[in-house]
Amino acid sequence: MSKERIQIAEELFDIMPAEYQDLVKRATYGNEQRGWKDIGNAKELIEEHSLCAGCPESMAFRYILASLPNPEDTVMVGSTGCTSLVFPHVAVHNIHSLFGNQNAIASGLKRALTVRFPDRHKDVVVLAGDGATVDIGLDMTLQAWFRQEKFTTICFDNELYANTGGQESGLMQKGFVAKMAPVGKTFEKVRLPEIARESGCHYVVNCTVSKPNLIEKVIKNAVHIAREIGPTYLQLYTPCILEIGKNSMEGLQEMRDSEKPTERFAYKEYVSEPAKELLAELAAKEKERKAEAKRQLAGQSA
Amino acid sequence: MAAQASFIGQKNKKEQVYTDPWHMMNEAARTPSFFTGSEVIKEAVRRASCDIMVAYPITPQSEAAALCGELFAEGYIGDYFRGESEFAVMSQCAGAAFGGARVFTTTAGPGTMRAMENFPMWAGARLPIQMIVTCRGINSPLSIQPDTLEIAYLMQTGMLVWHAETAQDFYDWILKGYMVSEEPDVHLPLALCCDGFFVTHTKDMVDLTPVDMCLPPYDPYRSPVPCMDMECPPVRMMRDPFVMKSNYISYATHASWQQEVWAAVERSRKHTIRWMDGLIDTENADADVIVVASGTAVSQSREAIAILEDEGIQVGLVKVKTLRPWPGEEIREATKHAKHIIVPEFNVIGWLAREVRSTVQNNERVHAGPHVCGGMTMPPEIIAAEIKTVLGVKAPSLAGRGG
Amino acid sequence: MTTSYRVMPGPEHFLPPSAASMGIRLPDPGQGSIHGTIVTEEEAMEQAARQLLSAKVPTIFPGPLVLWAWNEKAAKKAKAIRYLYETIKESVDSSQHAMLIPMPDYRPKYPKINPEIEINPNHPNLTIWHNKIDACIFVGVHCHQANLSLKIIRGGTNCYTIAMCAQAGHEDAMLSIRDTTADKLIRLAEWVKKLKGSVPPPV
Repeated sequence: MSKERIQIAEELFDIMPAEYQDLVKRATYGNEQRGWKDIGNAKELIEEHSLCAGCPESMAFRYILASLPNPEDTVMVGSTGCTSLVFPHVAVHNIHSLFGNQNAIASGLKRALTVRFPDRHKDVVVLAGDGATVDIGLDMTLQAWFRQEKFTTICFDNELYANTGGQESGLMQKGFVAKMAPVGKTFEKVRLPEIARESGCHYVVNCTVSKPNLIEKVIKNAVHIAREIGPTYLQLYTPCILEIGKNSMEGLQEMRDSEKPTERFAYKEYVSEPAKELLAELAAKEKERKAEAKRQLAGQSA
Repeated sequence: MAAQASFIGQKNKKEQVYTDPWHMMNEAARTPSFFTGSEVIKEAVRRASCDIMVAYPITPQSEAAALCGELFAEGYIGDYFRGESEFAVMSQCAGAAFGGARVFTTTAGPGTMRAMENFPMWAGARLPIQMIVTCRGINSPLSIQPDTLEIAYLMQTGMLVWHAETAQDFYDWILKGYMVSEEPDVHLPLALCCDGFFVTHTKDMVDLTPVDMCLPPYDPYRSPVPCMDMECPPVRMMRDPFVMKSNYISYATHASWQQEVWAAVERSRKHTIRWMDGLIDTENADADVIVVASGTAVSQSREAIAILEDEGIQVGLVKVKTLRPWPGEEIREATKHAKHIIVPEFNVIGWLAREVRSTVQNNERVHAGPHVCGGMTMPPEIIAAEIKTVLGVKAPSLAGRGG
Repeated sequence: MTTSYRVMPGPEHFLPPSAASMGIRLPDPGQGSIHGTIVTEEEAMEQAARQLLSAKVPTIFPGPLVLWAWNEKAAKKAKAIRYLYETIKESVDSSQHAMLIPMPDYRPKYPKINPEIEINPNHPNLTIWHNKIDACIFVGVHCHQANLSLKIIRGGTNCYTIAMCAQAGHEDAMLSIRDTTADKLIRLAEWVKKLKGSVPPPV
């Protein structure tokens, strides 16, 4: 949708709740330079949520929504879990249907949007938890990558089933004691980033959400590469502070501790050769844009 | 229909003319053609202006999914691909329908069961996907032969469920099915069922509509729920949120939602009656004995009725075309004078007889059977024998048949 | 199916049935329906105007399809809705209070909606109760969500519901008009004007 179409009817503007008046006046739809720095300045696309106080997932959600390059033409797909308590309040069309089928939904959706809007970019972004991505939905996660479906898959990895009360998941660390792992998980954390690379993803990142500028960068890369080349995968650590016994204020530190060079969420990235070329092109364009802006600024002040 | 009407008269990229569906189905000249049921499905889809078809190999039950691939290669379908399992395929269909596409798929037997979680979701999400079900056995041991047990499950999902008798039914109903299920007051998925093999693999004469005519495209903006394409309001929209998380009378929302799905099934009656000339067909309904059947059991019953007529026994026939919506009132009316109601079925549990029993008055008149299953044929003679037994007429034993 | 069921103001039941399941059918083009009985569209228009004029708090609930100017038709309808609202406001006496309250979206809100400024399909009764609304018009709400709302309202409140539907109409409303355009909304406003003064205000 063009930014111009996200408009309230003039005659009924005065009766709309303030959040919507704000959304059309102060949101960043259509702004190519949108990013995490808009948080606190512009109207965010997430209105409210019912996640636990201090939940790192809520930070991740805000950074991602602030960083989507094309929210006015993006449709998101979620799955069952804590994320589905946030999605109703997100000002981007989004779909929840069943637990674990998110990459199948996204495959059909992306193809439908391509058939219906052949001359436009319609980005599809999946955002689901680790249970949905790696356990119940693994088949569909991988098959979408095998088929080279052109959308981004984001996994909020909190290393357990949070919404159902902290049961063992495939991305849980070995040895962690949880519901359904009463003597500690007996096998290693599933290495989905490596599997993603081998399954045909063109861009894979494994990191925490402690740094908003990093999240902005990887989201933009992932969406652009998915749009032009093929599937991309981001695995983001969003610890469930409730289930690992932390307080509301401790989520950020937990992420910082887990991204140290020897830890399991140390930044890891894979970029395919065609994706590297695309990123280089985009970087060159960005450099040119900045140079042009500088020239214009210089011209104005002269 | 304003948006659709604007397409009528225009051509698609295959030079087919988007045609007023009523004219195309009821007035345009038909060409008799000799086809298998699977080929008939392909010919109907060729004229259906489908955006997306998702396939999974259900051969040998039906080749239709593969034949639709040929249609895609020829340019008649917007996009086509093979999914990884029936569960995934039905979710891929849902994704495409959420995105505003007209969607077609096929399944059968165990595949229907594997995909089952999707069907109440489709109905709840009001996605007008059309799914061909070429019924086959579902229990262990494996069977690839016809058996209609899976229909019993589909009938509780909130989908429209129709049961075709012949290849001609199939052809017409695929096209009419979109017209009914895409009505904004209906907007539900349709399971268009047939008895696999008998219909899909046998050749039959079918009258086809002109190949240069096709249905007008689907208009997602007449949908009773927002299309997920970021082109329509509200911009803050999840399909579909967990209403139980709303703190006030939340359960009433979910309950009302379910009621609304079944209300939409009810609303489909009006449109279905118009397009299909009624939910049932009747023959000789004044007779003391009436057979109520659906699918190929109708054809077999017709043969049995001819056998009995030669012997001087008059039997009427009710062909049930739609199972959802259920033609309760029509069946009550058609059987009101009958002393005996015979319900032959290609499944072991007799789901149709259960439905009929819960519909008619004095339901001790309903005789469930004969039943065959697991791919057995149903010779007309066993239906005739069942009727004679009910009437107290001596009938020869058929146990030695085929020996 | 002949039915004795009538779609009347509630409160009807803990969980009332959908009107469709009770044998109520939707009108055909050119028709409307009142309490589930098919009438001419003009009769429905007149009756809708009478209900609005005789209500203590006649209210219009515009939904997303008209609140957002996502196409020209929507923008025209929004204009017509404002005109209808202004007309009702001018046509009722000082004991009556006309309202215009949006249904901006369909999401379940946490912890609750503000019933003074909006209505939500998951608990529309809150807005009806809070503002003591006794007659309302749904317009521009997607049909599925409109039906959820209409049924919950019938279940738990005594509000008279009118659906100005752009598609096939709503049997769960007490009064329904189908294929609604901006012109039809203006026609309803003309009926309100015409009947002004001839309908006794509420006691």
